[in-house]
This record gives sequence, C-alpha cells and structure tokens, in this order.
Amino acid sequence: MASLITCPHCGRRPKEEFSIRGDAVPERPEAAASEEAWHAYVYLRENPRGAIREYWHHVAGCRRWLVVERDNLTHEVFAVTDAREAATGDAA
Amino acid sequence: MTSSRIANVGLVDHSRVVKFSFDGRTYKGFEGDTLASALLANDQMLMGRSFKYHRPRGPVTAGPSEPNALVTIGKDARTEPNTRATVAELYSGLVARSQNAWPSLNFDIGSINGALSPMLGAGFYYKTFMWPAAFWEKVYEPVIRRAAGLGKAVMEADPDRYEKSWAHCDLLVVGSGPAGLMAALTAGRAGLRVILAEQDFRLGGSLLSETAMIGGVSAPDFAAATIAELADMPNVTIMPRTTVFGWYDDMVFGAVEKVQKHLAVPSADKPVERLWRIAAGRAILASGAEERPLVFGGNDRPGIMTADATRTYLNRYGVATGRKVAVFTNGGSGYRTAADLSARGVNIAAIIDSRAASADFAPYGVRVIRSGSIVDTKGGKRLSGIMTNRFGYDEMIDCDALAMSGGWSPIVHLMCQRGARPVWSDEAQAFLVPDVGPLFAAAGSAAGHATVSECLRDGAVKAHAAVEAVGRLVGHVNTPEVEGEYDPSFAPLWYVPGARSKAFVDFQNDVHVDDLALATREGFGHVEHAKRYTTSGMATDQGKLGNVNAVALLAGMRGVSPAEVGTTTYRPFYTPVSFGALAGTARAEQSRPIRTSPLHGWAKKNGATFLESGLWYRSAYFVQGEEKTWRESVDREVLNVRQNAGLCDVSTLGKIEIFGRDAAEFLNRVYSNAFLKLPVGKARYGLMLREDGIVFDDGTTSRLSENHYVLTTTTAYAAEVMAHLEFASQTFWPDLDVCFVSTSDQWAQMSLAGPKSRAILQKLVEDDLSDASFPFLAAREVQLKGGLIARLFRISFSGELAYELAVPAGYGEAVADAIMEAGRGEGICAYGVEALDVLRIEKGHVTHSELDGRTTADDVGLSKMMSKNKPDFIGKRLSTRYGLTAADRLQMVGLKPVELDKPLKAGAALLREGVEPSMTAGQGFVSSACFSPHVGQWIGLAMLKSGRERIGEKILVWDAVRSSEFLAEVCAPVFVDPENLNLHV
Amino acid sequence: MSIPFTHRHILEDRMSGYEPSPNANHLTVLRRPVIFSALAHAGHEASVAEALSLVENIVVRSVSPSDWLLVSQNAEAGAIAASLGAVPGLSFAEQSDGQVLMAVSGPDVRKILAKCVAVDLHADAFAEGESAPMMICRVAGNLARTGTDTFEILVPRSYAGYVFDELREAGREYAMTRGFGE
Ligand SMILES: [Zn+2]
Repeated sequence: MASLITCPHCGRRPKEEFSIRGDAVPERPEAAASEEAWHAYVYLRENPRGAIREYWHHVAGCRRWLVVERDNLTHEVFAVTDAREAATGDAA
Repeated sequence: MTSSRIANVGLVDHSRVVKFSFDGRTYKGFEGDTLASALLANDQMLMGRSFKYHRPRGPVTAGPSEPNALVTIGKDARTEPNTRATVAELYSGLVARSQNAWPSLNFDIGSINGALSPMLGAGFYYKTFMWPAAFWEKVYEPVIRRAAGLGKAVMEADPDRYEKSWAHCDLLVVGSGPAGLMAALTAGRAGLRVILAEQDFRLGGSLLSETAMIGGVSAPDFAAATIAELADMPNVTIMPRTTVFGWYDDMVFGAVEKVQKHLAVPSADKPVERLWRIAAGRAILASGAEERPLVFGGNDRPGIMTADATRTYLNRYGVATGRKVAVFTNGGSGYRTAADLSARGVNIAAIIDSRAASADFAPYGVRVIRSGSIVDTKGGKRLSGIMTNRFGYDEMIDCDALAMSGGWSPIVHLMCQRGARPVWSDEAQAFLVPDVGPLFAAAGSAAGHATVSECLRDGAVKAHAAVEAVGRLVGHVNTPEVEGEYDPSFAPLWYVPGARSKAFVDFQNDVHVDDLALATREGFGHVEHAKRYTTSGMATDQGKLGNVNAVALLAGMRGVSPAEVGTTTYRPFYTPVSFGALAGTARAEQSRPIRTSPLHGWAKKNGATFLESGLWYRSAYFVQGEEKTWRESVDREVLNVRQNAGLCDVSTLGKIEIFGRDAAEFLNRVYSNAFLKLPVGKARYGLMLREDGIVFDDGTTSRLSENHYVLTTTTAYAAEVMAHLEFASQTFWPDLDVCFVSTSDQWAQMSLAGPKSRAILQKLVEDDLSDASFPFLAAREVQLKGGLIARLFRISFSGELAYELAVPAGYGEAVADAIMEAGRGEGICAYGVEALDVLRIEKGHVTHSELDGRTTADDVGLSKMMSKNKPDFIGKRLSTRYGLTAADRLQMVGLKPVELDKPLKAGAALLREGVEPSMTAGQGFVSSACFSPHVGQWIGLAMLKSGRERIGEKILVWDAVRSSEFLAEVCAPVFVDPENLNLHV
Repeated sequence: MSIPFTHRHILEDRMSGYEPSPNANHLTVLRRPVIFSALAHAGHEASVAEALSLVENIVVRSVSPSDWLLVSQNAEAGAIAASLGAVPGLSFAEQSDGQVLMAVSGPDVRKILAKCVAVDLHADAFAEGESAPMMICRVAGNLARTGTDTFEILVPRSYAGYVFDELREAGREYAMTRGFGE
C-alpha cells in the first residue's frame, strides 16, 4: 500500500513520489582509472542483507537526489540525506 | 418455525420493515439486520453448500470470519459473489442468491460428492489428477471447476465508482468494542487526532450483544453514549463500515470503507467503496477475540454455531437460533449463552460440558452433562439431534440448534502482517500478539483480556500510553463499573474423541480431522505444508475460524506443543478487498495520467488520428478526402513534405533550460561529442551515452546566450534525461555552476519542413530568414508579426529545409493555424508521426528503434560523435572496451527487398542467403521499416553483423511471426539526398 | 501583415457549459497567471530566497532549497523578469504557459484533496502560507495553502486536463462546482 520516506526537504512522503536508482556505495572512478575499476563501478554490486545505502530521486517532490540508508529486511529507514550535500561533504 | 424473531428484543428497529429476497423468495427483515440475521428470523438456516462436498451449511458465526454463509448479492453488473451474509447490511430491495448449489440450495446434485468423499481426501488434486497431462486442461479442471467452487463473477463492467483517499492521525484505533471505545475516548479527550475504524455498520463491537450493565446502563447504551461523545470531538474521526485490512511499512494502514454497499441503487456522486491509506503516528488493535468452534463428529450441520454467534443473534438482532437449543462448551461462554437464551424464553435441551467440574451455573432446570461430548449429529437442512457420549454411553438428544464454545482466540492478524509471529501461551491456550514495538499495541480481548471490565480498563491504559508518548496531558477518564459479568475461562478441548462422522476443522474448505491426519502421515505435517496439502485456511476466510484448531490438532498428531507448530504466515488482506477499491479512479482512460499537447486541438481539427505514445496522444496521420487507408494518408504527407511543405507537432520533445557559468563544461561531460565551442545562436546535435558506453538518448542543444542553453530530448526519454542530468550535477560534479529546469510544457513546438518552408515562415516572422542570416543550425529568438516572441531552430529530421518553431503553449494552436493559412498557396499539409518516421527512415536518422539500449554510437554510424579529445564524459571509459569495439558487432545498414512488392516489417530476422531459417543462424534484425513513396517500395533500417562491409549483399529477411521469407539488398542507410543538398538551400 | 494570435487555455473545452454560480466547494481555474521558475545557483540559495521575498506582486512557492515557482496575478511577465534579472545568482524561465493554476476552496476542501495528495493537510501540519511540491492526482505538482479552506494547485500544462478530471471526480461527492477565474 505504501511506505513513507522522510525527504530532508519535503517531509514524509509516500514511496510513489520517488524513483530508486540503486546502490549509492560505488563511486564514479577517475576517467583514467583502470578498466577493472570502471567495470566494478558499472557492473559489480554487493547484495547485502540488512543496512544498505541507495540513491533515491524525489521526482514528484523537490527533484533532489537523496541518499537513503535503510534496512532491506525490516524496511527501517535510518537516514535520508541530500546527495549533493553528501557528495560535497565527502569532498571537503 | 424453529429459529425466529423475538418481539422487541435487540438493536434492530422493529418498526422499520425491510423487504429483500433470497433465491427468488421475498422475505422481511428489520433495519439494523444483517442478511444472515434476517434470514434466521425467517427460519432460513440453510444459506449455502460447502466447497468440496456440497454439504448443506448455515452460518457458524455472526461476523466477518464466517466460512459458510457466503452468498451472491446484487443484480446484473452489480452482482457481487462470496459476500458474507453475516456482515452484509440488510437494505430494502437486496437480492441475494445462494452459491455452489445446482439445481437448487435445497436439492443439490453435487452433494453426491459426499458419497465420493474418500476420493476427495487431502492432496487429492496432487494425487488423483496427475496424468495424463492433457487431461488436466480438458477434463479434470473443467469438471472440478464446475463441481467445486464459490460464487461466480459477472462479465459486465462494474457500473459503480471507487476511489482512494489518505487519512492522517496521531492514533488509529481498530475496532469499537469496549477496549476500542475507551482507547478512542481517552485519546480523544487528550486532544489527539484519532481515527476510530469499525468494520461493522454499527459501532460497539461485542458491547452490542453484551448483557452486563456498564456504569449503570446497558452495554449498548454505554456504547451509544460514548460514541456520541466521540462524534462531538472535532479531533476524532469515526469510520464505520471500514475494515482495516493491512498494516504496512512506516505505520501506514490499509482500510476499505463500504460507502454505499448497503444501498440498492448507489448515488453516482459517491463511490461505493473507498480505499483508505491511513498514516498513523500510533495504533491500537482492539479487534477483539474469536470464539473457536469445537471439532466433533457432524459439527457442520446447519444450526450449529458458536455460542458467541448465538448470543449475538439473540441480543443484538432479537433472533432465537432455535426453539430448543443445546449447548456444547468447554468453558463459561456456554453457560452464559444458556442463561441469555433461557431469559428470552428459549428452551435449553442440555448443556454438554467437556469438563468434569466447574463453578459455572446453569439456568434453573437445565440439565448439565459433565465430562460429556458430542460424537455425532443428525438432521438434513437443519440440525435435529445430537448424539452425546459420557463415559462410553450414548444418548440421542433432540434439539434444533447447538451453541458451541471451544474457547477464545485473540484476533491478532493485523499485528502479524509484517513478519512477527503470534506467540503461543499455554496459560491462555491461545496465540497472543507479538511485541511489535511501541507504536502499535493491542488492547482488550485482542490483547488476551477476557472480561468486559478488563477490556474497558485496558483500552484506557493503552491509549494513555499513546497520549503520554506524544507529550500530551491525559484527561480524566473513569473506567466504569461492570455488573453481571461472567467468567469466560475455559479448559482446552481441541478434538472431541469418538467422532462417528466427519469432524470439520475448516468449514469453508471442507477440511476435516482425517485430512490433517493424512497430511501428517504423508509428511506434510509442517503447518505451511498442511495448509497447501489439505487447503485448510485457504480461500476467502483464510482460516479465521479454523486455523487455531488446525494448529492444535497438528500439534497433537505430531506430539508437540502448538508453539512448536506455529501458525501460517499472516498477510494482508484481513478480509477480501474488491479489485474496484484497489483500482480506485484508475480505470479506463483515467488509468494513468494523460498528457495533452498544446497542438492537440489544431491536430484534431485538421483530421488527425491519434496514437498513444507513452502518456501522450500524438497525431499519427491526417486523413484527407477519399483516403481509405492510413498508408494513403502517410504517403501523401511524405511526398508533400519533400515537394512542398508540411507542419508537424513536435511539442512532446523534452525541453530543458540549462543555466550557469559551467553549463558548457557540464554539457561537454554529459554528451559524447564536443560542446565547449558551440557558438551563441547555434544548435548542435548531441549524443548521450550511459556509463557502460551504450547510447542513452539523442537530441539537439542550442546556445541561446553565453550561459543559457536549451536542450531537447526524445519524447520517450524526457523524464529519464532530466533525472540523469540532475544526478550527474548533484552527485558527480556538484562543483560545476549549472542548474536546470524543464520547460517542456511551456512551449508548443512545431516542425515546418519542406522546400517551401522558408517562404511560408517568412510571412509570419519579422526577422530575416534567408540562408545567409538564418543558416542551417541557427537557433535564436525571433519576433512573430504581431509581436509574439518565439524560438526558432533551423534543424531537420526529414532531411529537407526545415525549422522548428517554439511559441508559448497557449498560442500554439493560433500560430499553427496561421502557418497553415500562410502555407495554403504553397500546398502545405499537416503531417503526423507516421510520416515523420518515414521521412527519417528515408534519411537514415536513428530513433530509439535503433538506439535500443544495446547499440554504440559506432553501431549506428555515429562514431564521429565520439570525441577523442575530451578527458572525460559519461560513457567514455567503457565505450572503448573490447566487445563494444568488436568487428562483428551489429551495424546499422539500409535494406531494400529485391522484389519491389515485398513489405519489410520491423522485427524480422536477417540470415545469410541459402541458410535454413532459425534463430541461431540470425545475423541481425530489421529495426525500422516503412513504405517509402519516394523510393517506391518498402525500405528499412537494420542492425546487421558487420553490416557496413556487406553493402550490396543479398540477405534473407525471415519473419517467423508473419510467416514471410524473401531476399533484400543491403545498402547504405540513406535513401534520399545522400549529399544533404536539400538541407542547405 | 500583423497577426493577433489568440491565447487558448488548455482547459477551455472542459470548462464550457458549467455551472454559472459556484457552490460552497468550488474549483477555480485561473486564466492567465504569470508564472516563473526561479533557480538559485549553488551558494546563492539563501540570498536568492531573501531577494525573492522582496519582489513585488509575486507569491513564492517552494520547490526545493534552490528552486521556486513564482506566481503573480497582477503583474506583467516583463516586469517580473526585469526584477528577477537583477538578482545575483538567480536564473529563471517563464512558465506561464507551462503550468496551470487551480484553486480549490470550500468547507470540504481537505476531504476532497485527501483523495489527491498523500500529504497531511491539517492546519498543524500544513499551515496557511505553506507550499510544497508533491504528487497531486498521480502528477508531480505543487500545492499551497492560501487560506483556511483554500488551496492552490500548480501542475504542468500537459497534465492539467487529467488532473482537472480527477479533481472533478474527487469533488463530486461534495457538489464541487468549477469555473474560470481571473
Ligand atoms: Zn523532496
């Protein structure tokens, strides 16, 4: 029927407002990185049970990309952060 | 008469007669009746036939867990099968029919199944009908479907409306019995936003059939007063006729409200059912407890029902279920029922108590058989006697109804729908609710409490906790005194030994004790296996009544505790929910959003036939004069564009405005070709790749000013490209100064193509459109005559001299009309996406038919779009890997059938000439095909292994779906103006 | 040759023949509001938000921390564009024809909108003056509370017909009327 995700900008919203891209753990390699690194980035995914980090796009809301940390077993959501803030935060 | 109405008893309105019909006969009931209570008042105990054996059945409950009394209600398209008569609210003009009986309920040929029952034991589907395989579809299934089954759906479309709605509250209370009412009252007085949901049409739950006094008034009066107070609170929403059927993530509950199911002709202005999604801060489950049937020989005859049901029919509906009622009990409930019946003047045949001794009192003069049991029953369409047994001695006792009580099971389903399992309690001899955290608590008998006073208190206590948790002050709520309660305790009795006939566990699925025994013997004793093997707990009631007995019986057979057997998995929905409610308004045309182009009206008045394309309706072609087939229209449009001019709606293309100092750098990184040096006032074709090196989308991007671009996408990928750009900007390169917004809906965009397009357009545009001042790929704002500012792009998909003109959407139709008017003398025509497709195939321009998620830029002949100089762009690194650069990849070529009359169809496979057709011998496929009026035959674009070096080769085109096979010549994928001379005139 | 182009509202066809006098619950389609998308460049979010609050004759609708929709019923697009052009770190695009503005009002407005949006519209949760982007009748739009019993909806033009039809169905139970308004 529904799940509710708390967008840091928009508040509690049903999951139908979002689209899920998938794993937020792999980071885009440098252009010159090895083919193996690129292959791993594009194709290889861990498939953990429990806590995961995913990219969610709030398409019917603020249109921001979010990083959702949640448990894929219990569906508990631990944190939702703006992906840009996560990206610039990592860079800083 | 055996079962009958007692004058002026109960909560039905004896002054308001309601006429209804059952199996063609007219009956009278009262307002406040259910169909079941009204039928019983008319001495109609027989209400259905069982699923497998077609045994006569009457109601065994007075509520939503009813397994037997399933009927079809309504007429014509409003026919609804498998409705529980025990919860169906009676209304004037209700038409009900029995199910699963042929030729009639009273005389059913299928009951012969009973004689064949040894063949129909547990697992019979798996054993009996295994082979020959062909027999399953042709013989077994049709026969079984006719013989076994429930009601039939009608084929007509449902004429009624349904809808969905959201609700939000601090506290959701599920159930309005003593616990639910006290919980709602406590939270309501404290100011919480409360929703009180009750599946019944009348609030009060068990209080409606309770004879104890509460706070000095009758239980129904206490309920009425409490509900009246709640109804006056603006922060409390009372939802009758609303079943909370599911508990989902993040405290969202699903509920279905029967808005107008109790009306013969529903108002067209309201839905008949409404699906609620209730987002609750907290919730209290006050769903009560279910009385368990006893499992004894012949326990399914009409007239045998739970003691609780007997009491409900008596006290709430004023219906005595028999004239001489026997009671079979393992606890206090049977005595209470006997007392209530006796007080209303109903004879008690005997109380058969499985216990040797108890403190319960039988009504004066009623015989009690202690340590007694029932081993068989007799009677056809209604019970006529019971065979009791005490220490081995049989005694036949005449009676016309039996009230049975096997103890109580809390109704825990809702709390167990998200993975937690109910917990067995030896003390309560029942499965209790699991601990699911602080947000969702059970109260009252759902939480294992037994007496009315305990339930009232527990409701208040649980609500108190919820109020404190949200930081509100608890108002003062007194738990009222209860007088005249009984002791509901019981001694476990899962199976009554010595059965002389079938002892049913699951009435709806005709599962009896021997079936469970067989399942256990054959290795299907695990509770989930036993369910599938015997069908116990399946179908519409999902074993609400029988599951706990089945679990305990399996435990007994396996010699373990019910705790070890456990229950099957509880899932939504608690009770069946109609597809109509789940669909809501999303039916037919409204099933998903429809997008309308700003030029829709223009296309319509020019005779367009529309084509669904994603969420859009696009103009496909424009029929003129005597044209009979779509091909005639499309051929004319194509030729006319190449000869004169045509106007086409391209408003559906995605349009994204891009701003920022780093916009050029950003575009350079998302496109595979170079964008840094695109001059202001120019458009450029761009190709986007996915990170794996495969083409993602294409389109043109124009630089309108130094730091302002407008990017176009294909219609199909508009949303994906926008999301892709946002992702790249927000996560890859947050340091780039770039921002963007979709303006797809702001602009009506039209393509004016053909050699005469400039002459036509110049009549409307103030700016000079000569080739010198507005050359190929020019892109800038222009002023239309009259002052309207528009965007003009000199780009071409057809290969002809062409422009795309964008005007604010509201002006689209007027501007398109003006262009048609201006072009009338030049022979302008409207053309649709079919002609557009022909024009681009003739030119060898790709669409997503070629860019199908598997092709590289080189595959489609666009290797020049792959910049060698840029340090990075999305898809660069993996585009050069082995596999994407292999020489035998499928490459785009043109195709022309050798014989001029052969129609080429997209999807056909390509094979070497002379090869036996097979998919393994495939060399590629036709990606796009059309009849080219310019070439004079069918032509196509195809993806062919090493295609570019095979120009001139004859190749076999094999279309297995349409059974055609012919030769075609491989050619360059350009059929018109290969030197692009027409573009630059 | 000068051509006076006629402007046409996308809901024109749907509105003909409707009730001349509004009921208590009413859906107003605003005919020609001026609407802009405003985008703050990175690092300018706060200053742009501040500047927008000072622009005259517009109301600001929240979309994201760096993205707004500006609505005006009484100013020329050119004048607003001029004001916006003066704000450092702000880019903007006109959306007057790209967005359709509708107002729903009346005593049952929350019950009607509960069928359209998943967001809690209780005054404690969504107060007067608040606005937010959200799914409205399955379409990404923007909702604002402009009064105790009045809400305004912005949806992309191409979806407006669908949303209008859904709203009409949602309001049927409460005898909601509809008409154009200025
Ligand atoms: Zn958001």
